[in-house]
Amino acid sequence: MDAKIVEFTTLLRTNGLRVSMSEHLDAFRAIAELGVEDRESFKDALRAAMVKRSIDVPVYDDLFDLYFSGLGEAIHQSAKTLMETMQIGEQDFQSLMDRLADLLKNLDVELSELARALLQNDTGRLEQMLRDAADQANAQSIERSYQEGRFTHSTAQSLGLGGLSEELERLKQQLGRADLPPELAEQLQQFIDQRQRDLREMIRRAVRIELEKRDQTQRERNRLSSLAEKSFYYLSEDELRRMREAVTKLAQRLKNVVSIRRKRGKRGKFDVSDTLRKNLQYGGVPFRIQFDRRIRDKPQVLVLCDVSDSVRNVSRFMLQFVYSLQDLYSRVRSFIFVSELGETTQLFEENDTQRAIELALTGTVINVFAHSDFGRAFRTFHRDYLGAVNNRTTVIILGDARNNYNLPHEWVLRDVQARAKQVIWLNPERKMTWGFGDSEMDRYLPFCDLVEECCNLNQLYRVIDHLVR
Amino acid sequence: MFLSIDDVIRRFAEQRYICNRRIATVVYLATHLEKPILVEGPAGVGKTELAKVVAASLQLNLIRLQCYEGLDEAKALYEWEYAKQLLYTQILKDKISEVLGGATSLRDAVERIAAQDDVFFSDRFIVPRPLLRSITAPQRVVLLIDEIDKSDSEFEAFLLEVLSDFTVSVPELGTLRAKHIPIVLLTSNNAREMSDALKRRCLHLYIDFPGAQQELSIVRLKVPGISEKLAAQVVEAVQRIRKLDLKKSPSISETLDWAKTLTLLNADQLDEELVNDTLSAVLKYEGDIRKAQDDLKAFLQTQRARTGTEQGDDKDLLH
Repeated sequence: MDAKIVEFTTLLRTNGLRVSMSEHLDAFRAIAELGVEDRESFKDALRAAMVKRSIDVPVYDDLFDLYFSGLGEAIHQSAKTLMETMQIGEQDFQSLMDRLADLLKNLDVELSELARALLQNDTGRLEQMLRDAADQANAQSIERSYQEGRFTHSTAQSLGLGGLSEELERLKQQLGRADLPPELAEQLQQFIDQRQRDLREMIRRAVRIELEKRDQTQRERNRLSSLAEKSFYYLSEDELRRMREAVTKLAQRLKNVVSIRRKRGKRGKFDVSDTLRKNLQYGGVPFRIQFDRRIRDKPQVLVLCDVSDSVRNVSRFMLQFVYSLQDLYSRVRSFIFVSELGETTQLFEENDTQRAIELALTGTVINVFAHSDFGRAFRTFHRDYLGAVNNRTTVIILGDARNNYNLPHEWVLRDVQARAKQVIWLNPERKMTWGFGDSEMDRYLPFCDLVEECCNLNQLYRVIDHLVR
Repeated sequence: MFLSIDDVIRRFAEQRYICNRRIATVVYLATHLEKPILVEGPAGVGKTELAKVVAASLQLNLIRLQCYEGLDEAKALYEWEYAKQLLYTQILKDKISEVLGGATSLRDAVERIAAQDDVFFSDRFIVPRPLLRSITAPQRVVLLIDEIDKSDSEFEAFLLEVLSDFTVSVPELGTLRAKHIPIVLLTSNNAREMSDALKRRCLHLYIDFPGAQQELSIVRLKVPGISEKLAAQVVEAVQRIRKLDLKKSPSISETLDWAKTLTLLNADQLDEELVNDTLSAVLKYEGDIRKAQDDLKAFLQTQRARTGTEQGDDKDLLH
């Protein structure tokens, strides 16, 4: 059992769970305390000792089932299907095997260990032999599904499948020569044939299980981290949903970080000059200590989101992110544009974030099916909303600056920059493509304080983190 | 001490706490391996309650340390009682001058005072805070460190030291070692991820919202006067509500609040009006309430259709 737990732990580790040495030892102590009789408490005990992050729990559950009962389950299953195909119940099945055992004794046939385990349906023994054979064939090193055939073959070889079929063939002949009632003889023949086929299936399962153990790695571990690195352009429907959760979580994290940062800031540092000045009245004896308690003002944010088809996903998460962070900002105003410009602040106040985003992106505010025209949108902004920009405002513009060769009107940005605290441009396109084709990025660039490539969640997080600093 | 996992479940049941086998297993292991338990899970699933129940079922004292941002050693471990020390020196002025009486030089005086300083830095003048109390307790105790995620990471690092060997060193007094290793439960709402080092030292327990069956038995246990039908309906409704995408999902305590409210109103089954009037006991946000109302309306209608076919037939006859 100890060896099995060690192997299982290694399996957990290769699947990205961090299990330290001391946790591993805890698992042993826990098992020593509880024993291994009760499967559920065994599982719970290992889990309590070794799995410490809730996102790892599903991986652990899968691996546990796969490792501790995958093969046994398969062997069990094959016996069951055998009963079904022969159309006999469990008792008949058992008595058939007993009859066979008696016959073998009478006929004085010596069978190999494998044949005996197979014909007597000795599950534990079979499982052990399959495992050993898989080990010998080095099946743990399987990595891709196309290798399955090769490993199945070599596992079968080290198990001695060739010898077995000869052996069983001989056995069938011997049984044929023995004087048996024809019905029983036929049943036995069928039984032996079927078992042989079962064994092949079991071997295949054993190799498949090794493969599945690897697969967990690819599937689960990299899921969240890769999601954060994945470009917004290529998200599937399901990933969009998961991404929404990830954005919410990330926003929560940022909120915590910022609130701790702020609290720290509030405590303040020792302010030497102020202390000296305040204590002049006491003859320079530092009686009253002064701390530097500068109150940081919350940024006001004004977001201009391009929602044309090309950048829609980015705008979606940008808006979600900003609105989940509402309480970090004193005021958020958001505008969306394609070629018209429309304000969505009200929309967000009246609906919850998800719904508001859906509404905004489906054309309730502006026509979203037009061709992008940054110049026109900027001019509208200049005309109607320039007054909203003051020296505490951070203006974030999100767009790919692909202007369909319309007039860029970059002077608007110049005016905005002159009034605003800072202007940030987030471009979801790769940096190397900026300025090519109809991209006007180069013209807008001089009037921005910060220009960032922003095509995945991690980049978005970094930008927003910079914003609330 | 718990004898077996089943013993844990039984004793918890005596304390009117219904738990599943997983919780019982971890509690059993923790008491036997003398390891802390890190309990995580959404708010209101009974994490703090678990610690209280462990203490009550083993008849041990519970010492609670509530974490918050800015919690430091002085509040968690110990503090010298300066005011008392000052007061004593004032009152004992005569005695002190007596001690200093024969001193010929300043150095001599300081030496004499120094010889006496263990009087002032002794147990008498120390204010033990929860951690020190749990270590110096004459009996084994249950130590609950609540909402560890609210504390700063520096405090977490400090806590590690205490949790790993249960010794505390007070410079003036020396090292204090726990006579009995306390049973420690740390709870976290996952406001931030705990450090790996802390997790490594603990057994991990994740408590989720209970299944329908378990929640039903909790409601029956904690709201004695409730009718069977109402209890089942309330639980089913709450389980449905939890599946919705809400700002805050209702916890067990909110289910109980609702059940109590409804029994106070003498209801014996849910209907739409009753739900609209009392839903604020379960949900705390206006948007959530609106969402749940729509969903429960459909739910109640299907329920009525299911149970009320015979009544419906009667009405048809009357017309």
